[in-house]
Amino acid sequence: MTFQFATLLSVMPALSQAALVNLRLAAIIVVLAVLGGTLLTILRAMKIRPVNAAIAVLISFIRGTPLLIQIFLFFYVAPAFGLDLGPETAGVTAIALNSSIFITEMMRGGLQSIPPGQIEAGCALALPRRVIWRSIVLPQLFRRILPALVGEITIVVKGTALLSVITVVDVLRTAQQIASSTYRPFETLVGAALCFLAINLAVMAAGRLIESRGADARS
Amino acid sequence: MTFDPAILADYWPLFLQGAWLTVRICAVAFIVGYSIGILVALAALVPSRIVRALVGAYVGLLRSVPFIIILFLVYYGLPFAGIRFPAYVTGTLALALFASAYYAEIVRGAILSLPRGQFESARTVGMSPLQAMRHVVFPQILRGLVPPSVNMTLTMIKESAVLSSITVAELTYQSLVVQGNTFAPFEAFAAVTLIYWAITVVVARLAAILEARTGTAEREDVERNALAASFLTLEAPKRR
Amino acid sequence: MTPTPPATPLLSVSALRKSFRGTPVLKDVYLDVAKGEVVALIGPSGCGKSTLLRCLTWLDPPDDGFILIDGQPFGRALVGDTVRRQGRREIDRLRPKIGMVFQQLHLWPHLSALENVVRPQVVVLKRPREEAVARAQDLLAGLGLGGLEDRFPYALSGGQKQRAAIARALAMDPALMLFDEPTSALDPELVGGVLQLLRRLAGEGMTMVVVTHEIGFAAHVADRIAFMDGGRIVEDGPARQVMEAPADPRLAAFLDLIRSGRPAA
Repeated sequence: MTFQFATLLSVMPALSQAALVNLRLAAIIVVLAVLGGTLLTILRAMKIRPVNAAIAVLISFIRGTPLLIQIFLFFYVAPAFGLDLGPETAGVTAIALNSSIFITEMMRGGLQSIPPGQIEAGCALALPRRVIWRSIVLPQLFRRILPALVGEITIVVKGTALLSVITVVDVLRTAQQIASSTYRPFETLVGAALCFLAINLAVMAAGRLIESRGADARS
Repeated sequence: MTFDPAILADYWPLFLQGAWLTVRICAVAFIVGYSIGILVALAALVPSRIVRALVGAYVGLLRSVPFIIILFLVYYGLPFAGIRFPAYVTGTLALALFASAYYAEIVRGAILSLPRGQFESARTVGMSPLQAMRHVVFPQILRGLVPPSVNMTLTMIKESAVLSSITVAELTYQSLVVQGNTFAPFEAFAAVTLIYWAITVVVARLAAILEARTGTAEREDVERNALAASFLTLEAPKRR
Repeated sequence: MTPTPPATPLLSVSALRKSFRGTPVLKDVYLDVAKGEVVALIGPSGCGKSTLLRCLTWLDPPDDGFILIDGQPFGRALVGDTVRRQGRREIDRLRPKIGMVFQQLHLWPHLSALENVVRPQVVVLKRPREEAVARAQDLLAGLGLGGLEDRFPYALSGGQKQRAAIARALAMDPALMLFDEPTSALDPELVGGVLQLLRRLAGEGMTMVVVTHEIGFAAHVADRIAFMDGGRIVEDGPARQVMEAPADPRLAAFLDLIRSGRPAA
C-alpha cells in the first residue's frame, strides 16, 4: 500500500475541528490543575500532620498508577458511589487531579530555591500569611516552575487523547470514526498525530515566549 | 456501595496473568527502548547536520504525540508496510519506540554534561569515538543516568496500560474484562490499581538498590573525601 | 633568518588554515620541526596557538593545508594533483604518534593513575595487558609517581596529575609531544619542576612543541622559538637569537611586555 496524501488532506478539516475539543478540555484541565496544585501546595505548607499524611498517600497513588486507570476510576467507579459525571467531566476531573499532583510536586521543588530571607523579611513587616503567599512566594514560584509547567501542559494535551477511550469524541475518536468508513486508518491517524504536534509545538513556543519576556522584565 | 471480595477470589488468575504480561512487556520494551535510545543519543552527537535533524525530528515527534496515537500508528502502520505481528509484539514495539525518545534525551544530556576534554583526550590517544564512549564517557555518566532512567521507566510502565486498547491482554485489559463480566467496576479497578502501585513501588526500590551499588563504584572520589561528601552526596529521596 | 630545516622534518606543517564561523584563526601556518628539536610556541592570547595544537591533533580539522608526521600525511594527503581527505580510521591510526598534554590535563577521573596509562595502550595499540602495565609502571616511576599508581586523579596533587598525563601520552610511544601551556594551570612553586621535566624529556631526544608563556623555558630549554600573531607564525628562529634580537616589531613589543612582568595573556 502507498501513503495517500489526498486522504490525509481530506480528513484534516474534520480532525482540526475535533482538535478544538482537545484544546478546550486541555485548557479547562490546565486551569483546574494549576489552581488545584497551588491550593494543595499551600495546604501542605500549613504542616497539618493528618492532612499531609493523606496528601502523601494521594501523591504516591497518583504517581504510581496509570492515568488511564485513574480516568476509569472516575468514569466507571464513581457512578457506583452516586457520582455520575458523564465522560467529559469524569475525564477532565481525572486528568486535572493527576496534573494537580504533579504541579504541587513541581512547586515543592521550586519552593526550595526561594531564599528564606524573603519570607523573613515579609514576617518582619508583619504581613499576613495570605499576603506573603500571594505577593512574595507565588509570583516567584510560578516564574521558577514555568519551564516544568510548560512540559506539564504538553502532557495534559497528550492526556486528552485518552478520553477517546471513554467515548469523548476528540481527535482520536473522530479519526477512528473516519477510518472505519474510509478504511484508511494510517493516513487518518497521521492527521491526528499532526493535530497534537501542532498544539504542542504552539504550547512550547508560547512557553519560550513567556520565558524570554520574563527574562527581559528582570534584566 | 459494597466491596465484594468474592469477585477477586474468582478472577485473581486473570489479574495475575495480566500483571505478568505487563511486567514482561515492560522488561522487553525497556531493553529494546534503551538500546534504541543510546543509538539515537549517539547519532545526535555526530557532526552531520542531516543526521542530527533526523534525530531531532524522531525525538520531537515521539515526545509531542500522545502514546495512544503512536500505538495506533504502529498498529495500523505495520500492516501498511506488509508486516504482521501479534498485538502484544506491536504493543511492545510501540512502547519501546515511545520510551526510546525519552531515554535518548536522558543519555544525550548526560553525555553533554561531561566536560568535552574527557572525550577529546580519549580521541587524541587514538581511541575511536565508540572506544572513547565505552572506556571514558559511559563509565563516568552511568550513575547520573540511573535516577532519570528509573523515572522514565516508571512512566513507561504506566503508559503500558494503553496497550489494552489494541486488545493486548495485559493488566488493564484484564480489569476491563473482569469489569465487563461482573459489572463490578469498583472491585476490578481497585484491584488493578493496587497491582500497578505494587509494580511501580518494587521497581523504584530495585532502582534505589541499583543506585546505591553504582554509587560506591563510581563516586569513590567524593565518598573518600568527607568534606566533598557533605556537599555532594544527598540522601536518596524516597521515590514512592 | 630562518634556519634551513633538515632534509626530513619530523613535523611539517604547510599552509594550514582554520576559520570558525567565517573568522580566520589560522592563516597559512608553516612550521617544520626536526627530530629531537624543541620548539616553543609563543604569542599573545588569541593569536591561534591553542587552535594550532588542536589542528595538529585533528581535534579541530583544519580547513586547508597539510600536516606531515615523519613524512606521512596526517588528515589530508596530496595524491598526484588531488587533495584527499583521510578517513577517520586513517587519522586515528596516526594519532598515537602525536602525544598531547592538555592544559587542563583531562585525566580520566574514574580510572587510577596506572589505568589511565594502561587503558589506551591496551585499547589502541592492542598491547597485552602485562606489557602495558609494565610500561606504565616504568613510566610512572621514572616521572616520580612510583607508589602512587593506584591512586585516582582526585587524590593526586597538581604536579602529580600533570606527570600522570605526560605518562599517558608517552606510553603511546609518540614521535612528537605537544604541550598546551604546561605551567599555566599549576601553582607557581611547581613551575620549576615542570620545566626541569621538560628539559629532561628534551635531553632524552624527544621532539616537542610547547605552547608557553614561560619565557625562561623558551630561552633555556627550547632550541627554537616560533612567535605567532594574528593567525600566522611571524618569526621563527634559534631561541637565543629570537630572544636577543627580535626582528619583528610585534615580537619585540610582546617580549618587552612579558619581561616587564605583566601577564601576557
